[in-house]
Amino acid sequence: MNQLFKRRLVDHLKEMMKYLRLVFNDYFVLALLFVIGGLGYYYSNALKQLHTGLWWAPVVIIGILLVSLQLGRFATLVQAPDYVFLLPRESEMVNYLKRGFNYSLGLAWLIQVLIWFLLLPFIQVTTQASGVNLISLLAMLICLKTTWLNTDFARKYRIKSTWLLRDNRLLWRLIIPALLLINAVYFSYLVSLIVAVLITVDSLLRRPSWTTHSIDWKTMIDDENSRMHTVYQFFNLFTDVPAISGSVKRRRYLDGLLRRTKLIPKNTYLYLYSHGIARDNEMSGLYVRLLVIGTLFLVFIQGEALPIALCLLFVYLIGFQMIPFYFHFDDNAFVHIYPVTHQNQMKSFQRVLLVMLGSVAVVFGIAVIAINYNNPITIIGVVVGELIEIWAFIYIYLPRRIARSQRNRA
Amino acid sequence: MTLEVSNLVGGYSQVPVLKDVSFDVKDGELVGLIGLNGAGKSTTINHIIGLLTPFKGSVKINGITLDEDVKKYKQQIAYIPEAPIVYKELTLKEHLEMTMLAYNLDQDESWQRAHQLLKMFRLDNKLDWFPDNFSKGMRQKVMIVCAFLTNAKLFIIDEPFLGLDPLAVNDLLNLISDRKKQGASILMSTHVLDTAQRYCDRFVLLHDGTVRTEGTIEQLRQLFPEAGDSLNDIYLTLAREGEQS
Repeated sequence: MNQLFKRRLVDHLKEMMKYLRLVFNDYFVLALLFVIGGLGYYYSNALKQLHTGLWWAPVVIIGILLVSLQLGRFATLVQAPDYVFLLPRESEMVNYLKRGFNYSLGLAWLIQVLIWFLLLPFIQVTTQASGVNLISLLAMLICLKTTWLNTDFARKYRIKSTWLLRDNRLLWRLIIPALLLINAVYFSYLVSLIVAVLITVDSLLRRPSWTTHSIDWKTMIDDENSRMHTVYQFFNLFTDVPAISGSVKRRRYLDGLLRRTKLIPKNTYLYLYSHGIARDNEMSGLYVRLLVIGTLFLVFIQGEALPIALCLLFVYLIGFQMIPFYFHFDDNAFVHIYPVTHQNQMKSFQRVLLVMLGSVAVVFGIAVIAINYNNPITIIGVVVGELIEIWAFIYIYLPRRIARSQRNRA
Repeated sequence: MTLEVSNLVGGYSQVPVLKDVSFDVKDGELVGLIGLNGAGKSTTINHIIGLLTPFKGSVKINGITLDEDVKKYKQQIAYIPEAPIVYKELTLKEHLEMTMLAYNLDQDESWQRAHQLLKMFRLDNKLDWFPDNFSKGMRQKVMIVCAFLTNAKLFIIDEPFLGLDPLAVNDLLNLISDRKKQGASILMSTHVLDTAQRYCDRFVLLHDGTVRTEGTIEQLRQLFPEAGDSLNDIYLTLAREGEQS
C-alpha cells in the first residue's frame, strides 16, 4: 500500500509539474512579477499609514487567518476504480491514507507558514505582539490545521456522527479555530496555543478508534474528485485542462441575448458558439469569475499605471481563456457535414469574442472611471489601451494562435 | 460463503430506493437479481459491496456485517461493476498486477491463470495497451479477467452481458459454472432473462425497491401458473401487474 501511494504521488506531482510549467510561462511570470512588485509596494506604503490600536486590525487578522486555515485539503489521490480493485485491501487502506495525510500536512503547513510570514509586519505594526506571541501564533495555526486535516481524514470513514466527534467539520474547522484566534489576538496567545495543542493531540490520538470502521468510498472518491476539480479549475485559468469536462446549464435569462442571432446559414457557427459559451459552465464560469475578480481589483486599487496594467492583464486573461472553445465543436460530426466554411467559423468566433471582451472593457472602464474620476491620464490610458488590445487580440493574435493550434492538432 | 441480505432499507440520499429487501445466496449457488431499470438492482449491489450504508437492516457475509469486521467481509468479494471502470493511466498488464497486489495473489500462479483468461477473451496481445481506450465490451472483459483472477468466494456481478460478444458471454458463463462447482457463491443482476433462466439456480425479482417474489424457476411457475413457462413470460406478467397497481 505504501508503494501504491508512492507511485500515485509521483504521477500526481508529474502532472502538477506539467501544468505549473504551462502556467508559469514567460509572459505570466513577467506579469506576476509586476503584480507582486506592485502589491508589495502598496503593502509597505499602507503599513506606514497604520498604527497600534486600530479597531479593525484584529478583525482583519482573525479573518485572514481563518480563511487561510481552510486552504489545503486532504489529498488522498484515490481514483474511481479503487473501490473495485482495492476492495479486498480495505483494511490496509489506513496505511495508504496516512501517507496521503502526511503529504497533505506538509503542504498545508507550508501554506500556513507563508501566510503567517506575509501577515507578520501587519500584526507587528497594529498590535505590537511580542516575538514569543508571534511564534505561538504560528504554532497554533499549525496545530489547528493538523486538526482540520484530521477531521477530513475521519470523514473518509463511516462513523456515526455526533457533534463532538472528530468528523464534525463545522466545529473543528471553523468554530473552534475562530474562538481560539479571537482569544489569541484579544487576550492570550499562550492560552490559545495550549488549547490548540491539546485539541490536536486528542484528535490524533483518537484516530485509531475510527480507522477500524469501514471506508466510505463514495465520499472519499467524491471528495478527491472535487479537490482535483478545484486544482484543475485553477490551472484552467491559464491553460487548457482536458480533465475538465463541461457541465451544461440552461440559463434561460440569456435567451433574449442569444435569440438575436439571425437564422441564416452564415450564422451557423455564431449560433453554436454563442449558445455554447453561454451554457457551458466552464466557459461562462471562467468569464464571470475573472470579470468579477478584475472589477474588484479595479475598485480597490487607485493609482496611475496600476489600473491600466490590471485592465489590460484581465482582458488578455479572459480572451485567452476563450480561445480553446474555437475547437469545442470539432468532435461533433454535424459541423463537418454543414455546408459552411472555416472563414465563417473564424468570423463568428471573432464576433462572439468581440461582444464578450467589449462587455468586459465597458465594465472595467466604468469601474476605473468611478474610482479614478480625478485622474484623466488613467482613464484615457484604460480606454485607449483596451481598444487597441481588443482589436489586436481578436484580429491579429487570435487567427495566428488558432492557425498554430490547428497545425499542432493535424 | 453465504450472503444474507435482511430487511435492507437504503439508497443514495435520504430517500430510500430499497424498501425492506431480504434474500440470500448460499454456498455454490448462482442467484439472478432481476428487475426493471430503476428497480434497485445496482443499489442493492452497492450496499453489498459496502459503497452505501444501510439506513436499516443488514448485509451479512458468513454471518459478519461490514461494521463488525471490514477485513473479513471484504477479502472474500470480487465485484464486476455494470459500467466497466478502469484506471486511465494503467495498462492492461498493470491492471492485472494491481489485482494480484490487492488480493495478495501468488504472482507465478496468477500469471498462468491470467494468460488462460486473456487468451479466452482474446486480450492476450493487448497487455501493453490502455484499457481506457478499449471498447465497452473489451473493457468489460478486462473487469471479468480481473475478477476471475482472484480466489474470491463471493462474486457480485452487475449486468455482465451488455456489449459482450456471444463467444465471451459463453466463456463467462463457463467461468461462472466452474467457480460455482468449486463452491463459490454468485449474485448476478441481468436483463438477459433467457440466459438467466438457463444458468441461475434461483431468482430474486425486484420491483420498485421491494422483492416482488423469489425462488427457482419451478417455484415461480407454480406461484404464477397462468403467466407462462419461461422466466421472460413470468417476469413480463409481474412487471405489467406492478405498473398497473
